[in-house]
Amino acid sequence: MEHNYNYDVAIAGAGIVGASVAWHLAKAGLRVVVIDQTGPAAAASGASDGAISVASKVQGPIARLASASLLYTEELARAGLLLKAFKRRPSYIFATSVEEITALDNLIVKLQALAGPVRVVSDGSAKMLTGLSEQVERLITLEGEGHMPGHQAVLAYLTTPGITPLWPSKIKSINSDSTGVTVDLGTQNLRVGYLVAALGVSTPSLFPTMPILPRAGQLIVTDRGPVGGLQGSLTAAAYLLAKTEISVKSLQPPVVIDPLGTGQYLIGSSRENHGDSTKVDFETVRLLLTRASAVWPALRAQRVIRAFSGVRAAVSDGMPIVGPLPDAKRIIMATGFEGDGICLSALIGREVALMVRDVASQSEFATDLAALSPARFLSARQEGVA
Amino acid sequence: MSLINWQGNSVPFIPGETVASALLRAGVLKFGSVTTGQPTSVFCGIGQCQGCLIRAGGQIREACLLQCHEGMHVYELNGGRDA
Amino acid sequence: MLKPQVLVVGAGLAGLATAVELARAGIPVRVVDQAPTLGGAIHRQPLPGIRSMSSSAQSKRWSTVIANVETQSSAITFHFNTRFGGIDHSGAALLTGAHAALIRPRAIVLALGATEAVQPRPGWTLPGVMTAGAIQTRIKTIAEPPAERVILAGSGPLLLAVGAELCRLGRPPIAIIEASRPLSHLSAFRLPLNYLVEAAGYLATLLQARVPLIFGAHLTQISKTGEGLVAEVETNKGMRHYRADIIGLHDGIRPNDTGITESNVLPILRAGDCREALGARGAWADGVFGGQTLAASLLGLVAPLPSREIKSERAAQNLLAKIYAHKGATRLSDLPVDTIICRCENRSLGDLLSLGTAPTDRELRLDGRFGMGSCQGRFCAEWVRKLKAPLEPAPRIGAARWPTHPIAIDDFLAAFEDSESKT
Repeated sequence: MEHNYNYDVAIAGAGIVGASVAWHLAKAGLRVVVIDQTGPAAAASGASDGAISVASKVQGPIARLASASLLYTEELARAGLLLKAFKRRPSYIFATSVEEITALDNLIVKLQALAGPVRVVSDGSAKMLTGLSEQVERLITLEGEGHMPGHQAVLAYLTTPGITPLWPSKIKSINSDSTGVTVDLGTQNLRVGYLVAALGVSTPSLFPTMPILPRAGQLIVTDRGPVGGLQGSLTAAAYLLAKTEISVKSLQPPVVIDPLGTGQYLIGSSRENHGDSTKVDFETVRLLLTRASAVWPALRAQRVIRAFSGVRAAVSDGMPIVGPLPDAKRIIMATGFEGDGICLSALIGREVALMVRDVASQSEFATDLAALSPARFLSARQEGVA
Repeated sequence: MSLINWQGNSVPFIPGETVASALLRAGVLKFGSVTTGQPTSVFCGIGQCQGCLIRAGGQIREACLLQCHEGMHVYELNGGRDA
Repeated sequence: MLKPQVLVVGAGLAGLATAVELARAGIPVRVVDQAPTLGGAIHRQPLPGIRSMSSSAQSKRWSTVIANVETQSSAITFHFNTRFGGIDHSGAALLTGAHAALIRPRAIVLALGATEAVQPRPGWTLPGVMTAGAIQTRIKTIAEPPAERVILAGSGPLLLAVGAELCRLGRPPIAIIEASRPLSHLSAFRLPLNYLVEAAGYLATLLQARVPLIFGAHLTQISKTGEGLVAEVETNKGMRHYRADIIGLHDGIRPNDTGITESNVLPILRAGDCREALGARGAWADGVFGGQTLAASLLGLVAPLPSREIKSERAAQNLLAKIYAHKGATRLSDLPVDTIICRCENRSLGDLLSLGTAPTDRELRLDGRFGMGSCQGRFCAEWVRKLKAPLEPAPRIGAARWPTHPIAIDDFLAAFEDSESKT
């Protein structure tokens, strides 16, 4: 690589994906700077439930990548200090309607096809989980899925030699040419070999033609309380249909009850087509809490201590955007994960690092990743003008 | 005399008094403890600090706001079972 | 009675004054309060059959307040034992408790009063350590001292008031530890006469009962022994130790505005201590002015002229703050690292220091867990900010989010079952 770069690679965005890319590049000996307008895990990565779920992934490339990423995440956790925040835990998925029962059937087929780390260990009635209401017609228990609080993982990734943090610092513009990328930060310009754009909901401000759509989701945090016994997240099967064509009208929004490591519960979430995280309204929260307590009546004694909204970066076609820009190959996109960022971060970090080092074609995931390429949006204009 | 039941013990109260107030008169300063290990007890006295939590009627409540009623059963957070 | 159009949260001086003015202008009002009756903090009412601890000046003021309220009683609906859970951006207000409901008023008045600031000290989370205000609340409602041996410490006029009340109940405090030296300021004589009269009354009571008033002193540590608590106090004459059953701490009052989110679909007025500490007279004046302003705005009338009384009460409060100024906050960074800063989550100064020199809001909350518990930073945010983000003006950690207090899911859902919620 050239020697008059300030850094070999700049990562725009200190969320989970940017952090993972940074770590993988630093491990390969490259000099990395991570730039964020606020700080680590400031946006979606710090407002998520941390679930690493393969079950919830759309069949096809995403489910395959998720399955592999789950295994890799565990590998990284076992190998050393990285990702100690990762824990295996069971997942419970329930159905209270015909569509949801069908969704569970499809889930079983999908998991069998993946032949990955996630297995169905039981498939039965509400009685399989103490406290579950009889409204639940079918409950599937999965083993092998995981949980990892986003901000903890970000911290673990970024506390690595070779990574220079640069925040708070807002990128004014990005300009690439055949030999490198210039990043204008207002107070200074950085010249780097490559730039990885892991900007999440902030993507459109620097890459206006990328079809990133903000999607807010309201969430509730409860106090620690008398209710116990939930070892892993309890998810409505309707959630599995969330990114598919099938709409489950009467059951929106699908509810997830997630036991946090602190003993508090996270209940969520809505999916709203806007990016305003201040919009947290009683009616939506009421729907979520009604649904959650209908399924697990003992939850009614838990106290709500906070309601907030996280904004995910969604993409118009439901798939993340990963790969070099067709007309600016030194800019590599890694964004639009809409709630799947934590799950996919380990693998995407590794793969994007391979792309930067120009050895991506050797990856076993090249085909699946090709489906995520920004080339699918046929951008002909120069990106990166603020 | 009006009485509430605190952890199996009778504690008198003045009509309209809060559980925290009655317990203080009975010499009970520590109400229990939370999962973090911290003791529960009165701190702000007006329902803001969440330090005086107890269990009554199947719910977790602030003792400094909860009015005593005759025969009411009140427990520490991690103790006893109530209706 | 006409359907209430405006929600007033808080039946203390500011809330009542606002309600009266709105009602006078022909706007029906609903006043909610978590207490069983009106009064707020300053005029907290004794339980039935209990003697009033009010001074004659306070009783006189309260009679006037009640008379004012009664003239407008046909247009004011009171809902007691009802807690306000917050406002959402759509303009809905959540009420739980005896009169649970989700309502969409034309306007909301927040008269939530004050909250107490208490600076962390080693041992401040021990049972028996509470705020001076908690002691006062109980005294006003049941006219009893909390225990045999009480020490009051920190800074602020409230310490003298509570101390005097304890004397009148026959249990003078063992000592009052005040960080500032309010009596050393000649400018104290520029305070309004009613302030001076009130202060003189407290001091006379305390002196008569021979309560040690120790100025320029700091309670630095509390420990527990077999027979109660021990308070270590640093004075300019050296360290002293006092035994006590109850320790009342108080380091000032702050606006009670945790969990209040904004909405731009309806007017939201803050009145009284929850906006600005103005004292009792100022709270009433602020409520009057606020009520008149809001009424004018709702009816399309001319707004009232700025209130001179508020201005003079503000000046008095500023002078009081000067008189009571001290540098006790600098002691924060010298605390032992195992001192608890966030009570709810049991997080210490050491935990805070481990976050580095300038942790972001996210890092404070998600990695440090400060402000993530059930009080949502009400009691720790100020100190966390002073220690880690001294330039940050915001009083809270994290964005303002409802609810204003933890609400059982059962109670939350009950608010929607009320027929009012349909409108």
